[in-house]
Amino acid sequence: MADTHAHAHGHNDHADHGHHPTGWRRWMYSTNHKDIGTLYLVLAIVASFVGVGFSMMMRLELAEPGLQFIRDQHFYNVLLTAHGLIMVFFVVMPALIGGFGNWFIPLMIGCPDMAFPRMNNISFWLTAVGLILVATSTVIGGGAGTGWTVYPPLSNHTFHPGMSVDFAILSLHVAGAASILGAINFITTIVNMRAPGMTFHRMPLFIWSMLVTAFLLLLALPVLAGALTMLLTDRNFGTAFFEPSGGGDPIFWQHLFWFFGHPEVYIMIIPAFGIVSQVVSTFSKKPVFGYLGMAYAMVSIGFVGFVVWAHHMFTVGFNVETRAYFIIATMIIAVPTGIKIFSWLATMWGGSIEFKTPMLYAMGFIFLFVVGGVTGVTLSNAPVDMAFHDTYFVIAHFHYVLSIAAMYAIFTGMYYWLPKMSGRMYNEKLGQWQFWITFVGVNVLFFPQHFLGMAGMPRRIADYPDAFAGWNMVSSGGAVISLVGALLFFYILWDTLRNGAKAPANPWGVGANTLEWTVDSPAPFHTHEVLPVITAEPAGSHH
Amino acid sequence: MATQAQKTHPYHLSEPSALPLFGSIAVLVTAVGAVVFMHTGFYLGLVAGFVLLILMFIAWWRLVISEANNGVDHTEVVKTGLRIGMLLFIASEVMFFFAFFWGWFHSSLPILNNVAGMWPNNDIEPMGASGIPMVNTLILLTSSVTVTVAHHALVEGDRKTATNWTGITAVLGVIFLIIQAYEYWHLVNHQFGLKDGIYPSTFYLATGFHGFHVLVGTTFLIVCYFRLRAGHFTPSAHIGFEAAAWYWHFVDVVWLFLYINVYWWGSSAFGHLKPLVQ
Amino acid sequence: MINSRWMLFLLVLFSAATAALSADAQVVGAPQPWEWYFRTAATPVQVDLIWFHDLIFWVEVAIVLFVLGLMAYIVVKFNAKANPVPSRTTHNTFLEVAWTVIPVLILVVIAIPSLRLLFFMDKAKNPEMTLKITSHQWYWSYEYTDSGIAFDSNMIPEDQLKPGQLRLLDVDNRVVLPADTEIRLLMTSEDVIHNWAVQSFGVRMDTVPGRINESWMIVPADKIGTYYGQCSELCGVNHAYMPIAVDIVSKRDFQSWLAQAKTKFGRLDADAPVKLVQAETQPSLDAR
Ligand code: HEM
Ligand SMILES: [Cu+2]
Ligand SMILES: [Cu+2]
Repeated sequence: MADTHAHAHGHNDHADHGHHPTGWRRWMYSTNHKDIGTLYLVLAIVASFVGVGFSMMMRLELAEPGLQFIRDQHFYNVLLTAHGLIMVFFVVMPALIGGFGNWFIPLMIGCPDMAFPRMNNISFWLTAVGLILVATSTVIGGGAGTGWTVYPPLSNHTFHPGMSVDFAILSLHVAGAASILGAINFITTIVNMRAPGMTFHRMPLFIWSMLVTAFLLLLALPVLAGALTMLLTDRNFGTAFFEPSGGGDPIFWQHLFWFFGHPEVYIMIIPAFGIVSQVVSTFSKKPVFGYLGMAYAMVSIGFVGFVVWAHHMFTVGFNVETRAYFIIATMIIAVPTGIKIFSWLATMWGGSIEFKTPMLYAMGFIFLFVVGGVTGVTLSNAPVDMAFHDTYFVIAHFHYVLSIAAMYAIFTGMYYWLPKMSGRMYNEKLGQWQFWITFVGVNVLFFPQHFLGMAGMPRRIADYPDAFAGWNMVSSGGAVISLVGALLFFYILWDTLRNGAKAPANPWGVGANTLEWTVDSPAPFHTHEVLPVITAEPAGSHH
Repeated sequence: MATQAQKTHPYHLSEPSALPLFGSIAVLVTAVGAVVFMHTGFYLGLVAGFVLLILMFIAWWRLVISEANNGVDHTEVVKTGLRIGMLLFIASEVMFFFAFFWGWFHSSLPILNNVAGMWPNNDIEPMGASGIPMVNTLILLTSSVTVTVAHHALVEGDRKTATNWTGITAVLGVIFLIIQAYEYWHLVNHQFGLKDGIYPSTFYLATGFHGFHVLVGTTFLIVCYFRLRAGHFTPSAHIGFEAAAWYWHFVDVVWLFLYINVYWWGSSAFGHLKPLVQ
Repeated sequence: MINSRWMLFLLVLFSAATAALSADAQVVGAPQPWEWYFRTAATPVQVDLIWFHDLIFWVEVAIVLFVLGLMAYIVVKFNAKANPVPSRTTHNTFLEVAWTVIPVLILVVIAIPSLRLLFFMDKAKNPEMTLKITSHQWYWSYEYTDSGIAFDSNMIPEDQLKPGQLRLLDVDNRVVLPADTEIRLLMTSEDVIHNWAVQSFGVRMDTVPGRINESWMIVPADKIGTYYGQCSELCGVNHAYMPIAVDIVSKRDFQSWLAQAKTKFGRLDADAPVKLVQAETQPSLDAR
């Protein structure tokens, strides 16, 4: 990570020259990366109320066998679909990419704003439109009970005749367009607007993570857009892309979906890698170990991520050669991932570590991501997937890497950067409590689902054979604990904004040496208007 | 924002704007209008959405043009940024077409798709490569040349030539579209309609989206034509023209792929694949 | 395996309970309360699968414990109190090569048995009979192509369960298959995608409209019993209500079952597939 020995015009922010917009216009018409970042974070929080709320309804129903609260299995499927879509597209992505990316790319590379500030704004508003559309799809037209994967024929006109699936399709279209525009903005900013002296190999790893993520967005989302378009025309204009009766093939949808979908999972986790790298280095008071390896590990994960998609389709009936290829390709990704894990550990090794809340979350991330990662290796083996495909084992796996790891990264970033964004310190003690409650909660919630999967419980069912009752009850108990953790987080947020102590420009001390800590807290409306000059050697070289 | 006099960096920080919010509302109206239209046939919402969208685009690009012309905002760094942005946008467009080509090959190559079927499905007579598509190929190839001529003239400061050749390129675009419309009309009446199975689906969506991109590119060129006439472009500053030219080349390349795969290979004997039964 | 003893215990307990309740074949392939491991393996494929899973599993446990151990060490040794001055080390070529190469080696060790098992489980080599499975919203049809028997298999609704029958798992017409016989499974779907999954057999295959997928199984005679599975691909409202129940019987018993079945289910008529029992037992939304 770049040791940014910036020419110390530290507080270069003569904040109040010129006019800035005030009142509602400031937010509605914003072309300011910090305000837009904040808007994204607010959107993610609002969406998480819905997304987490839906998951709680599902866990409540699943606590016991039989149908108790959800009388209609279709309604369960609708909740499940909306939960998946909202969590992926409107919580994790807006928070990690739209929120932190917007806030900290310009601050960390030393430029005053994003390359296309107006386009930045429409990215946000289109995401909001996407959220409105997906919410609409749950209430109008009977609801989309297709799962977030929207596989035809179930999602076609015969089996989902209502408006809901069309609303969901257009929601993803619009959110996808927003993300493509955002990706163009991010890449252009990073490539074109780094402060003098900040070479690519001096960029903080968070910036590397954003660059890789933006490329994945740019190249994967249009494929989803194509797929959605075909589904839309199949549903409404009589085309036959996924219709066997017209010579089409439902498996083709799965190819397109997962060609997007696998990069999509890296879109959610690579930003997390970046945040965790910053935090581990800051609190260990050491530069990142093996900086170049870390950066290029992300790049290679991005590349390989495009050629492994069919590991989600091991049971569709491919010939063995195809499956053999996808096994090998998928397992290869474990190598750069391992490099990252061990480099984080090596960064901490020899450090002088302060276990503040962000650091706890970063370490929690590393450990639980390993747990979720190794079950990924299990699943990458097609023969074993014969036992696990579409069971709770898969639910456990991807909630470890998404619900736990990606959400942990969001918490990490929030605690780490909240002083910079709000100018106030959170309550450290409450933060640590929140960490431990969440840690217990999510593990009790998701770990037993491995057992359910081993025993063969299918996913996407609201009612299950009685033998599965035990672990389901435990899991639902964990959901309650997790909910307490989440609510405590919102309390901490509120408490910080109201009562938090004033934060200094750099609350984290010597370890925090990226550019965002050279400006005041809260970061003034305009920053880096005088461009900082970076003179340090690339981190990682010996000095 | 810093007033120009104080500006200490080469970047362009745009002023707050109502356009993004307006545009997003337009998108919302369009989306809801589209769903309502598809389910009830009531089309006014959709039309209203499109109108709002078009208004937004006009207003937005007028704004961009005025910024380009004010002599301050578009510094060299900003121009580089715009170029990068345009290239990235084209890259994403390529991936959009990638999906449709995938569809084409998935359904035509039995090795990718083990459904025991026929290609083209249901004994459809595929669209051949000679005749109309051949003419359209020549038109697009020519237009790629004419737009390059215009570009060279512009760089050399010969505005008049640049203007004329840009105009010619746009006219070629329009002719292409007219011919394609005729082709569709002919096909629908004599060979196959959109609903006739997988071959027509891939054919119409792939060529149709290409046609839409020709429409967009032509519009872009027409705008450039008028901007040339108005003297907006100089030999060193003509990002708008450059973007239009790049876009036009992209549209051209997509067409070549369409022509080779969909029209030529798709109608050749080799493209007629016999069912691969179990 | 540490788990197998635990499982055996449950199995004994459970089979004792069910044996008391029903005179049916012994149930060996049903989920057990608090189960945290695989069900009984009935086919060579599933035996190998479990063996292979355990191999990966222990490798993974080792990795997780290794990482956990390192983190514990870090917490103890490198906290700010214990180590006030951080080192500035950012490179160690040996380590960096090691943590690239060793994972590669581990993956190779995993990949070899993985591919062998993959090829082994793919298709029947010398099938002695064929079972054709067709999925519908929301029941299964089975067709014994060699004997011309075809029938539908529907879940028994909760209010019609007899004592000993398992809720959401038992069906009106079980598939009956002979032990010691290599059976080819052919699968397709009439409507949406479903998935025919019986864990004990190591079979989990999507049924896709427009495609015929293939799998296989052979159950040795000492694994005679009843095995359960559930549809494993979201297929609509009643996805949870289309279970699979398979009776594995001796070859002799199978012959006598065939004789009965032929009269019960009639001769297969390809043009008008018989939907014998669907009308009465199809679970409907309000039946619940
Ligand atoms: C608050 C913690 C969470 C709980 C209690 C929870 C619970 C659930 C439940 C009960 C299901 C349905 C399982 C099934 O019936 O198949 C599910 C599915 C899913 N969840 Fe979560 N979840 C949580 C957080 C997240 C997060 C943060 C993500 C982030 C991306 C996420 C992504 C998904 C996805 C993609 C699905 C699959 C939906 C589908 O099958 O179509 N979940 N979750
Ligand atoms: Cu994947
Ligand atoms: Cu199902």
